[in-house]
Amino acid sequence: MTESLLAVRGLSKHFVSGNETVPVIEKLTFTLDQGLSLALVGRSGSGKSTLLNLLCGLESPDAGTIVMQGQVFDAGSAATREKAAAWASLRRQQIGVVFQEANLMPALTLLENVRFRAQLAGRDPANSEDWLTRLDIGDLARRYPDQVSGGQRQRAALAMVFAMEPALILADEPTGSLDRQTAAEVAQVLFDLQARYCCGLILATHDAELAAGCQQLLDLGHLSAV
Amino acid sequence: MKRLMSLLPSLPALPIPWALLSHYRRHPLQLLALATMIVLATMLWTGVNQLTSQARASLEQSEQTVAERQQVVRDNGQALMVEDFVSLRLAGVCVMPWLEVTPASGNRIIGIDPLAAHCFGAGASRGGDQPLDGKPFVDMSTAASAGEAHLYLLTPDSTQDSDLPAAYHLKTFATGPETGELGDSFLLNLEALGVLVLLITALLLRSVYLLGLAQRRDSFALLHRFGVSPGQVQRWLVLEIIALALICVVPGVWLGRWLAAGLGGGFGQALDGLFDIPLYAGHGQGWITPVLVMLTVVVIACLGDLLLLRFRERLSLSVPNQGRLATALLLAGLVMAWLAPSLPWAFVAVALVFAGAAWLTPATVTHFANWRADQSKAPLARWRYRELAVLARRLTLPLVALQFALAMVLAVQALVTTFEDTFDRWLAQRLEAAYYIEVPVGADSRKAADWLTSKQVSNPGMNWHQVIRGSTRMTDKAAASSQQVDVYALAPISTLITGWGLLEAEDHPWEALAGNKGVMINEQLARRQTLGAGDTLQLVLDEQTRDMRILGVYPDYGRPVGEVLMNAEALPENFIARSESFSITPGELGITPVTDGLKRIWSVETLSMRDNSTIRELATGVFDQTFALTRAMTLLTLILAASALLMMGWVFFTTRAWYFRLLVVWGMSQQEVAGQLLRLALALTGGIALLALPLGVWLTWVLVHRINPLAFGWSLPMAVYPTFWLELGALSLAIGLSIAVLMRRQLGKPSVAPVSASALTGGER
Repeated sequence: MTESLLAVRGLSKHFVSGNETVPVIEKLTFTLDQGLSLALVGRSGSGKSTLLNLLCGLESPDAGTIVMQGQVFDAGSAATREKAAAWASLRRQQIGVVFQEANLMPALTLLENVRFRAQLAGRDPANSEDWLTRLDIGDLARRYPDQVSGGQRQRAALAMVFAMEPALILADEPTGSLDRQTAAEVAQVLFDLQARYCCGLILATHDAELAAGCQQLLDLGHLSAV
Repeated sequence: MKRLMSLLPSLPALPIPWALLSHYRRHPLQLLALATMIVLATMLWTGVNQLTSQARASLEQSEQTVAERQQVVRDNGQALMVEDFVSLRLAGVCVMPWLEVTPASGNRIIGIDPLAAHCFGAGASRGGDQPLDGKPFVDMSTAASAGEAHLYLLTPDSTQDSDLPAAYHLKTFATGPETGELGDSFLLNLEALGVLVLLITALLLRSVYLLGLAQRRDSFALLHRFGVSPGQVQRWLVLEIIALALICVVPGVWLGRWLAAGLGGGFGQALDGLFDIPLYAGHGQGWITPVLVMLTVVVIACLGDLLLLRFRERLSLSVPNQGRLATALLLAGLVMAWLAPSLPWAFVAVALVFAGAAWLTPATVTHFANWRADQSKAPLARWRYRELAVLARRLTLPLVALQFALAMVLAVQALVTTFEDTFDRWLAQRLEAAYYIEVPVGADSRKAADWLTSKQVSNPGMNWHQVIRGSTRMTDKAAASSQQVDVYALAPISTLITGWGLLEAEDHPWEALAGNKGVMINEQLARRQTLGAGDTLQLVLDEQTRDMRILGVYPDYGRPVGEVLMNAEALPENFIARSESFSITPGELGITPVTDGLKRIWSVETLSMRDNSTIRELATGVFDQTFALTRAMTLLTLILAASALLMMGWVFFTTRAWYFRLLVVWGMSQQEVAGQLLRLALALTGGIALLALPLGVWLTWVLVHRINPLAFGWSLPMAVYPTFWLELGALSLAIGLSIAVLMRRQLGKPSVAPVSASALTGGER
């Protein structure tokens, strides 16, 4: 039986717009086991990015509980100093986050970015160049982010994430800014490495084809888990 | 049709400017920042310029007023009466009565007769042609009733001794000390600094404008795709900035004049207090000059690139070549400043050094930061140094402006403090004793000296010396030429003078002077003749050329004539004195017994006496006010530069907020990230303060050791004030701290990911 990496119970989040309270996520419950992948789908504004932020402690829920690697985070817990520190520690060492764009520090080369992230996570940075090579951008290691293409930047972002050996990867439209072929290549690399290193993956996407590559699917538009 | 008409207001008549200006509808604060910067820059420069021109006009007016004039005095030294005025006018001599009254309370008032002043012509219009409805000039009869009065009879410069009836002769008439070249020198330096203020404000304007322009690049690209040529866009940009400049420059000039008037009022009061005369000129330049100057500066600062596009393309250099050129400019400027044969060369040298420094500073910070990043093992330190390099490149203009402003403030502080110190010593040198009493014509000064010696024995606190002024010739055997020099002879060599600081001297120079073993010379003579302590000069005294050893060189703060200070005992009996006087500090004895004694010895009713402490107090007041104004204006420049950097720094940091937040996503706490930002901002502003330090010290050196000697033939002492350096360093760190605080607030807000890594969307490197 696989071990549960993440458990979400009754999670709710709303935003205030003027005098109106807009619910974004309501009473969401799901689990993700170690080594599995989950696709978050739903129309724009359905709360995919908000959920990812909640799952890494960048925002705190209004209700519900998140259990991550045995640590319990209740509503409002991100705001307390201890829990904020616990979330920060998890993000630093266990959770890798990939956004649609701008995942790299612009003043650092691709290699320096990968080393930087690995060192922040407390991992040995010696393998950083290997990671870039494995992602077919080893020859671009000493280039800056604005000197490579969007696809190459996303590969470098993945190299950064895998160099930190995460337990969970949260990817927010990681291929959203790429052309179809490059997007497919980057997605393939992501799934291959996730499977090889047996980490959890939660992928927010509009792309049905990409979502189909995941073992689980959560449609936030219909609040149904498959 | 009706429906179409209703749509018209929302359709732009001029679509291109409408599209261009839509940027400011989306970013109104940017427009406000640019407008504010133009207004503030105009206000600052106009204020500085206005104050400098006012100060110059006021000082010139004051010097004209207190400048030496002629008066008619009686040969027997007796006080003048109304009868003297009548007999002189009957003899055809133009004289104007000048009745000085010191009431029991209040300022001195001066009674004049406007009708009698008419023979002075236009030159005597001050007071003469104006209604006498206020102090200090009042009608003669009003003055006479105000208290004990002293009558002087002034006469135009054209009057000769031969024009006077028997029993009268001419004598100089002065109401205060001349600030002379000391004042001129100070104002020249102020004007040089005014140019620097203009440069700094231009840099700040350019930085704010370019920031806005960079953020509008996407709009320009879009217009280009829609078929609008770059030329059309540029023309509209020129019109836009000219319109904005016109709107902002006029209120800026008005504010500058208002600021100068507010600050200058105190200056005028001080001048009034000094000379008892409303001397404050109160007017500087008109409106047209500052408006045109600032319009030109705004257009060049903002659109210089467009105007010189073709030249720029031809002159574009690779980065290493830019570095080499900047270094060459800097070195050329340094060498030129050292060797400059004339004032224009010195100013060119300053311009070269500043141009080189402006080019090199950001490059130096960038190289240093990248070098430190390469050396750093710690990942955060490496990131921080890389970010510092980006900041130095992207904030080049505001950083250079801040560096210039810091250097200028540093130089002004050193200059003003040096001037204050010099001015104190200048006053001390000229007003060394408490009282200055002229020896009446024909009176026996030797008897007075003997009497003062006897008085000093019973009053040890008393101090005095006799001053004999005249002139003689100094010969140069080698060149077979001679020149006239002033003679300043003293006896005895008392402690009134031995406190003078000497520029160079032999051992125990005052003892040697007292022992009549040589002479001292002023700085002007030493510079002109390349003479120094230990050298020998040849003076013609009593028809004989005598070799005199130079015991020391004393500073004279602007006296344009070569002067020899010697023991009066060495003067021959037949030496023709231009004037003789006694400088006396009476001590506990008080001045009245001294003046009574001297009147008795010289058999005169009145003495020509000057109370030096009053003059010192009043003169100090004028300069204190001027110094305070100068400090205030340079501080304003610094505040403007600091505000610009703060604004630019904040804008830049805000565009980069996504990447700083990325650190939080990667597991750093907000406190940790805020700490990193604080270190980054402090490194940036602290680094600039460090780089401003040598520039400021060099600028001080140029002002006091190069520009002053080239302009006036004398130098100021060079002084540095490390405590002030620390204050400026603290100020720079405070600016960095403010940027970090603003960024910490920004970190707490959600930030939007940049859409691309192109310029000024936060992805710069």
